[in-house]
Amino acid sequence: MIEIKKISKTYDDIVAVADLDMTIQPGRIYGFLGPNGAGKTTAIRMLMNIIIPDSGNILFEGSDQRPPSNQIGYLPEERGLYQKISVFETLQYFAHLRSVTHPNDLIKEYLQRFDLGSRLQSKVSELSKGNQQKLQFINTILHDPQYIVLDEPFSGLDPVNQLLLKEILEELKQAGKTILFSSHQMDQVEKLCDDVALINHGKLVIAGNLKTILQSEGVKRLQVIPTHGEDLSHQCFSAFNSERSNGSVFIEIDGHSKQDIIATLNTAIDLKSVKVAEQGLEDIFIQLVQGAKT
Amino acid sequence: MNAWKIAWFEYRRRIRSKWFIIGTFGMPILILAISLGTGYMAGSGAGIETKTFGMIDETSFYGEKLSFVLDKRFAQKETPPFNLAVSNGSFESLQSQFDELVNDKTLDGYFVIPHDFLSRPILRNYSRSSSAFRSSGIIESELKELLIKQKANSLQLSDAVLEEIFFDVDVAHFDIGSAEERETEELIADYIAPFIFMFLLFLGIFTGGQLLLRAVLEERSSRVIEVLLSTVSYNELMGGKILGLGMLGLTQSGIYLIGAFFAGSYYDLSIITPTIGLLYFTYFILGYLLYAGIYIGVGALFDSEQEAQQAIQIITFVAIIPMVLWTIVIENPNSTLVNVLSYVPLVTPFFMMIKIAVGETSLIQVVSTIIVMVVSVCGSIRLAAKVFRTGILLYGKRITLPEIYRWLRA
Repeated sequence: MIEIKKISKTYDDIVAVADLDMTIQPGRIYGFLGPNGAGKTTAIRMLMNIIIPDSGNILFEGSDQRPPSNQIGYLPEERGLYQKISVFETLQYFAHLRSVTHPNDLIKEYLQRFDLGSRLQSKVSELSKGNQQKLQFINTILHDPQYIVLDEPFSGLDPVNQLLLKEILEELKQAGKTILFSSHQMDQVEKLCDDVALINHGKLVIAGNLKTILQSEGVKRLQVIPTHGEDLSHQCFSAFNSERSNGSVFIEIDGHSKQDIIATLNTAIDLKSVKVAEQGLEDIFIQLVQGAKT
Repeated sequence: MNAWKIAWFEYRRRIRSKWFIIGTFGMPILILAISLGTGYMAGSGAGIETKTFGMIDETSFYGEKLSFVLDKRFAQKETPPFNLAVSNGSFESLQSQFDELVNDKTLDGYFVIPHDFLSRPILRNYSRSSSAFRSSGIIESELKELLIKQKANSLQLSDAVLEEIFFDVDVAHFDIGSAEERETEELIADYIAPFIFMFLLFLGIFTGGQLLLRAVLEERSSRVIEVLLSTVSYNELMGGKILGLGMLGLTQSGIYLIGAFFAGSYYDLSIITPTIGLLYFTYFILGYLLYAGIYIGVGALFDSEQEAQQAIQIITFVAIIPMVLWTIVIENPNSTLVNVLSYVPLVTPFFMMIKIAVGETSLIQVVSTIIVMVVSVCGSIRLAAKVFRTGILLYGKRITLPEIYRWLRA
């Protein structure tokens, strides 16, 4: 478990992170979200001990003693690879730095799994963006770390490799690893993460279990499709807080019961279908960030 | 332990690179080729054009004589530096004619031997540019000899007496306590060897420094630095890099010294003694560490190599001072200027290496300069660590001098 307790970092007069609190549980995937410039990278760098917080502390399993480097795997947002050396040498060097004994077979195994087996001796610069991202991911987990921090891991990956990455992240989760995962791709976060935290302007906006957040923060709406297209602009919708979109009308269930809304509509128009539509993480994200601005 | 792993990685990847091999073996070949090439060109007269000067001789005597002496002097040269066209007559009558010849570029300039030249030996030169500057020296010395001979003749001295008066002096060189005269090759080697030591030191220190700068910039621009810093500490990373590239510089220096030793042995010259070798490596290590701090600090401040190279140019310029002053150091190794400069840390290793190779230094000076260097290295590395720690992750930000000052004071 990683506990981030009230960490802050200020550069000159700019507050990058302010009193950030987060708890990342083992065996779960923690999504770390925020708009550009929110302070995610600074927070991750503090977690990685690359920069020292001005105040607050970070506890690993309840201790402020940082675990050895071979217990931590970090994938930075931008390519963190030497370009002029071979794929094999890159992985060998970092494995060596993280005290992995006899890493060669393990390297070959991972490269095979990521379909890079034939690129063993290729220079990193010769790989495509997606393949470099795969190499970087292998470099992050090769030494079997307990704590894994991934900044935009899906960046540059095609759908097939995104699926493979998800599969491996699930495996790591099952193995009880503590995983922090930052991304702008909300659908990925929604599918993968158990817990999330959203920060904006360096401050925590919301944190907790993803399902609970979706239920508590997401506005529930009814998606109504009239039998006749011309009824999309019928006056009966004006009684509710509603919005037209793609052949449907979305009505906010806000102080009304679903039955009352359906009954009211039924008296005025013919309904083809009615279903409950929950707001996704992306909508909640935008709503919370915009809410924080106003 | 991690610093050693980083050092070994840096050393291994660089020593196998084709640029290191080309640089290490190609540089001496290139320097040798340039030295021999320019020497040949200077000797062969390549790149030199024969100039044409006019001469108005109001004495109607010295001009012809001078022309004869110069013809004899330049007889062996494929391209004589200049030809002389002598006209007897007065300056007043010939001036406009000669001016015209200069203006239409038939002549590069002209000289005037005044009628009272014997009593007042001042030769006048008229030319469009400074093209006659070097030629004037030759004309001066030849005319001087002619004047002396003329005056000797007026004293009615015989040719035999004249030969007695005009003779060359040779200096024979001996080692103290030796009866065997030293050969010219030996003397040249003694003169050149200190320069070679200083140059090798310069090459090794700055090759290592440049590689260090590039290594930091590479890791900074590719963001490898973040992965590394999540694995090792700042000090381990910086220490490992300095160590690895220092080992590379030592390897390069070792190759050069071994080469110099064998080259010296071939000509039966003892250029490298164990003491010189030991002091060479001592000053190399200290000089490299001093500059490593500067290079690594600068590397941590810039995003592009171009900007970093511009910033480092100022420092490199200071280090060129010994390259410019080496002959002064060889000839005056204990002058006040040289002794003062020997204690300026940025140039101490270079000056001291020349002094040691010349054999004109004392144990006290060696020890005291080493102490100065050790203190400077500690300061350089300490300040570099502060800049490296703060600046290395500030991508895309133009860092100002007040900011750096603040980091250094922190």
